[in-house]
Amino acid sequence: MNIALIGNPNAGKTTLFNQLTGSNQSVGNWPGVTVEKKLGKLKSKVLPADIVDLPGIYSLSTISLEEEIASNYIMNREMDLIINIVDASSLERNLFLTYQLLDSNIPIIIALNGMDIIDKNEEKIDYHTLSEELGVPVVPISASKKIGIDELIHKVEIYDILKTRKSVHYNKEIEAVIAKFNYYINDRFLSIRFFEDGLDALIHTEVNETDQPKLIKLYNNVKSNFKLDMDMILPDARYNKIMSLIGKTYERNDLIKETTTDKIDKILTNKYLGLPLFGLVMFTVFFLAFGPLGTFITEQFVWLIDQFFIFIINGVDSLGMSPYISSLITKGIFGGLTAVVGFLPQLMILFFAMALLEDSGYMSRAAFIMDRALRRFGLSGKSFIPMLIGFGCSVPAITATRTLDKDEDRKITSMIIPFVSCGAKAPIYGVFAGALFANGSYIIVFSMYLIGLMVAILSAILFKKTIFKSASANYIMELPQYRKPTVKNTWLHTWGRSKDFLIKAGTILLASFIIIWFLSYFGIVNGQFKLLTDDQISQSFLGHIGRAILPIFRPIGFNDWRSTVAILSGFVAKESVVGTLGILYGVTGDVVENGSALFPAIQSAFTPLQAYAFMVFALLAIPCIAAVSALKRELNSTKWFVFILSYEMIVAYLAALAIYQIGSRDLGSILSIVFTALVIIFVLLMIKKLVKQKGSACASCDGCSPTSGCGLPEYEEYKESKEKEKQNHEN
Amino acid sequence: MTLQDIKPGEYCVISNIKSNNLRKRIIDMGIIIGTKVYVKKTAPLGDPMEIIVRGYSLTLRKAEARTIHVERIDE
Repeated sequence: MNIALIGNPNAGKTTLFNQLTGSNQSVGNWPGVTVEKKLGKLKSKVLPADIVDLPGIYSLSTISLEEEIASNYIMNREMDLIINIVDASSLERNLFLTYQLLDSNIPIIIALNGMDIIDKNEEKIDYHTLSEELGVPVVPISASKKIGIDELIHKVEIYDILKTRKSVHYNKEIEAVIAKFNYYINDRFLSIRFFEDGLDALIHTEVNETDQPKLIKLYNNVKSNFKLDMDMILPDARYNKIMSLIGKTYERNDLIKETTTDKIDKILTNKYLGLPLFGLVMFTVFFLAFGPLGTFITEQFVWLIDQFFIFIINGVDSLGMSPYISSLITKGIFGGLTAVVGFLPQLMILFFAMALLEDSGYMSRAAFIMDRALRRFGLSGKSFIPMLIGFGCSVPAITATRTLDKDEDRKITSMIIPFVSCGAKAPIYGVFAGALFANGSYIIVFSMYLIGLMVAILSAILFKKTIFKSASANYIMELPQYRKPTVKNTWLHTWGRSKDFLIKAGTILLASFIIIWFLSYFGIVNGQFKLLTDDQISQSFLGHIGRAILPIFRPIGFNDWRSTVAILSGFVAKESVVGTLGILYGVTGDVVENGSALFPAIQSAFTPLQAYAFMVFALLAIPCIAAVSALKRELNSTKWFVFILSYEMIVAYLAALAIYQIGSRDLGSILSIVFTALVIIFVLLMIKKLVKQKGSACASCDGCSPTSGCGLPEYEEYKESKEKEKQNHEN
Repeated sequence: MTLQDIKPGEYCVISNIKSNNLRKRIIDMGIIIGTKVYVKKTAPLGDPMEIIVRGYSLTLRKAEARTIHVERIDE
C-alpha cells in the first residue's frame, strides 16, 4: 500500500513521519528539482506500506514548485491512503486543506496533532463529532510526545480503503455549476479543481480539444451567477462549513490572552531588539562551526582518520605492492576520503544548529525580519544563513541551502555562495598581501572579502532579473507557534542530511580526487610514462596543462606557468594553491602554515598588480572540487551545474582582466576607459527601458490572475503563456 | 482603505481583494470578504507586516496588503 502524509507546513508532519517510520527512511530528491523527497516504511507488523512525506501545503492551488509536487501527487491520485495531519492549535486554517482533500474521495485518516497543547491550555476538541461530521477517522495524537502513534498505525491497518464515502456537498448554486463542469470533465474532484483554479486544473483532466473552448465559455458564463469572484466561492463555502464545524466541536479557553509564542515574539521580532538578536543568533551559529569548538573537533577528527589511514598505508607498504597501486591508495583514494569526511564535523554542527532553528520556529522569524533587506537581491531572509556559512566553507554552505523554502531561492543562493570568500582562500591573500603590500596588506585582504561579497550580491540581482523572474516575488508566510525541538527530530535532520552529503557529494569528490591524483603524479619524463615524486610536479600532466593554457591567462597578468598550475591545483583544495607555489618555487617547509618563506619568490615573480589580479582570479574562479561536488548535488541538474561553473570562470576572468588592464594603464587612459564604460552602461539602460515599454502593453491594469474577475482566456493562449513561463524558468 | 493603512493594534474587516500574484493564496489562507483581521506588528525594517487571522499569525508584504481593501472596526 502507498500512503501519503499530507498537511500544512509546520503542522508537525516531519515529526510524525519520523514516528511512523522510525529509522526506516531514505532521503532523496524529486526528479529534476532541488526538493527533498522522503520515503519510509510504516512501522506495522501486519501491513506492508510505504509512506511518502509530501512537501507541506496550505491548499491544492499552488504558488511554488514544492507545493506543485504535493498538489500534483494528489490530483493524479498516486496514493491509496492519505494521512492528513491537522494542527489542532490552528484548526480553522488546517481544515481548509482537509476539505479540499475530502473532495478527492481518496481514503483519508486525520491525525489531529498537538492534542497535548490543547489539554495543557484546558481546551477541548470533540474528535468523535469531528470524525462523524467529516465522515473519516480522526485520531488525536501528539507527534512530538509520541502520543497516539500506535493508535494511528492501528487505524491504518484496519482501514477499509474500498468502502465508498459520501463526498462533501456544497449549496445548490455551487453544485449546479460543478455538475455542469462535470459534464465535460467527468470527474467530480477535477471539476471542483477547475472551479477553483481555472485553467491550471485543466491539464489534469482528459477534456478533448473541441470541448475545451466550450468549457471555458461555460466558466465565463456561470461567473455572473455569483456575487463573489469565482476563485473565492469555494473557499468561502468551505470556511463557512469549517466555522460551523468548529462551533460544534471546539471549546476555546477564552482566559488565555497572551500565548508563550506572543511573549517570545515580543522580544525576538521586536522593533529594536529584533535585528541585533538576529545578528547574535547568526554569529553564534558561525562561531559554533568555525570557532574554537568546531575547529577543535574537526582537527581531532581528521587526526583520527589520518592515524587510521597511516595504519593501513603501512600495511599496504609492507605488502610490497607496485608503487602505482600504493600511490593510488595513499595519495588518491585516502586523500579524497580525508577531504570528504573532513567536512563531516562542521557539516554536522551546522546542520544541528539549523535543525534547532528550524524546528523551534525561529527560521520563519529570520525570514520575516530580513525580508525587506534581502528581497531586492532575489533572496529570502532564510538565505542569510547559508551565505554567512559561506565565509567559513562553501561546502556546508551550499548543502545548507536545502533548508530554504523555494527551488529558486535554493538555486540562486547555492550559485552565489562560491563567490563568498571561504576560509581556505585566506592563506592565498596572506601570502600575496604579506609579500607585496606590506603596509596596506590588511586593506588588500579586506578588499578581497568585499569583492567576493559584491560579486555574490550582483550575481544574485542579475540572476533574479534575468533567469528567475518569479523568484521571491512571492512572500506570504505563517509565523508558526514556537516549539521545543526534540532530540530525536533534530538528530534525524542532522544525520539524514549529513549522510546524504557523504554518499552523494562524497562519491563525486572521491572520483575527482583520483583523476586529479593521476594528472599530478603521472607524466612523461625523457619520453617515458612514469609515476612522479612530489617535487616533479612540473613534469606532470598538470604541469603540461598549466603551460598549455598559459596564453589564455596572459591578458590577466599571468606570465609564468607556475601561476596557472597553482590555480589549477586550487581545484583540489584552495589551501593547496599556496602549497603548490611553494613546491614550484622550490621553497621547503610548510608554506601554508608559515607563508613568509614564500615572500622572496613571490616578490621576484609578481608585481603588486599581477598579484592582485591573481588573488581576484583565485577568489572568484571555480571553487574547490568539494564545493563543486556539493553544487552538483544540490542543483541536481547538469544544465544548471555547467552554467554556473562557466559563469564563475567568466566572471573571474573578466574581473581579473579589468583589474589588470585598467591597472596597467596611465591615468589618462583610465579616465577614458571609465568614460567609455559609463557610456556603455547608459546605452544599455536606455535599451532596457525601451524594451520594457514595448513589453508592457497594459500599464494601467494590474493584470489578471487565471481565476480572477476578468474571466478565463482561451486555452491555447493560456498554454502559450505557460510554455513561455516554463522556458523562462528552464533557461 | 487598504490593509496597509491599518495600524498595529487595530482591527479591520476585509471588503475586497484586488487581483495580484498571491490573490488565490491569500483567499485560501482564510482572508475572504467579511473576515476579521487584527494587525499585530510590522517587521523591524517596516515591512512585511504581521496579522492575526482565523486564530493564527500570518505575515505578508505591504505590496500585497495594498491590494486588500478593508474597513477599520473597533474591537
